[in-house]
Amino acid sequence: MVPDEKPQFQLPLGVVTVIDVSRLQRELQEIDEFMMQTALRESGRQPALPRSSHSLEEIAASNGLNLLQPADRKVLAQHLERLHSRAPTIHMSFAADPPATFLKRLITWLRHEIHPELLLQIGLQPSLAAGCVVRTSSKYFDFSLREHFEKQRQSLVDKLRELPVENNGG
Amino acid sequence: MLVAIGDKLRGYRQQIYEKVGLNDMQLVGLLIVIVAIILAAAAMIWEVLRSDQSKAGQKPATDSKVYTDAASRDVEHIFNDEFREELRNRGRLHFEKIIGENAMFLQQDLRLTTSELNDYMKQEITKTLKDEFAKYEQSIADAKQLAVESLAKTQVAIEEQRQLLGKQMEQQIIAERNRIIERFEQNMAEIINHYVLTAIGNQIDLSDQLEYILSDLEANKQAILEDINNGA
Repeated sequence: MVPDEKPQFQLPLGVVTVIDVSRLQRELQEIDEFMMQTALRESGRQPALPRSSHSLEEIAASNGLNLLQPADRKVLAQHLERLHSRAPTIHMSFAADPPATFLKRLITWLRHEIHPELLLQIGLQPSLAAGCVVRTSSKYFDFSLREHFEKQRQSLVDKLRELPVENNGG
Repeated sequence: MLVAIGDKLRGYRQQIYEKVGLNDMQLVGLLIVIVAIILAAAAMIWEVLRSDQSKAGQKPATDSKVYTDAASRDVEHIFNDEFREELRNRGRLHFEKIIGENAMFLQQDLRLTTSELNDYMKQEITKTLKDEFAKYEQSIADAKQLAVESLAKTQVAIEEQRQLLGKQMEQQIIAERNRIIERFEQNMAEIINHYVLTAIGNQIDLSDQLEYILSDLEANKQAILEDINNGA
């Protein structure tokens, strides 16, 4: 489902989790500090520009922001702060650490169907075996293989009861 | 001697009374023999005494008296002391013979009585023993019957108890089996999940599960949307 009101801020697919947003905030803060130091130093003695991540460059490019401009950096910082504090977050737990491609496809679907600024919190539960567990602010969805077995328990019981009984006692 | 015989007879009679009790026929026969012996003895004694009295009472008064005296003298001559002694001896021998015969008869009667007494005692003892044995056998039979009935009752009780225990055991086994099955069924999902995780947990690729996860998310999309919108 696509929300009726399209948000103005574009969140790239590389930014998946709240941790990613926090990291972007830190990078943006470092750039801000660099720019402030550059303005105070003499010409010809400029320190090296902090290396920005692909995610930061992507989010700036997708939103038409120039990180060298203080106003754009301020706008990006405000958006990131808003995302960090108010963006809808879903907690998902998997049996193993999900790969990036998996997360990319998953967040694509979520932002397209649920909310365009949705963020994830990834957890790890090896006992799940397969599937995942989704927890929103007030709901809990168990899509694990264990839950699937539990739902199909009666079918398993029926199948077991259909098996011929061997008389081991002779 | 008669007194001694009488005492002896009384002693025998007393013994017979003690041993036999009342046996009228034998007692009457014995009394007849004793009376006969006494009468014979009394007759002989009376005869002897009468001859002595007739000799002492003669009086020479008349001719006949003379003749009588002569006869008496002849009698005295004939029945002198030797002849009297001979008569006494004969009487004594006859008496002894009679006594001996009666003693023999008495001995025979005593032997017969003893034999009959033995037979009677044997019969009585045999009868008593038979009665006692019959009672004993009856008691044994009663005791045996009681024992058999007691054993039968005990066997019935044991059989009932065995059947009751069998039923209880069967019920407990069924209950335990049902409990185990129920517990297995209740935890079947966990058991199978653990088995799958142990068996092929390392081979499950999370990327292969994406479609499955997305289908689950799609199925619950509305609920997730509502929760997020409410939260926002």
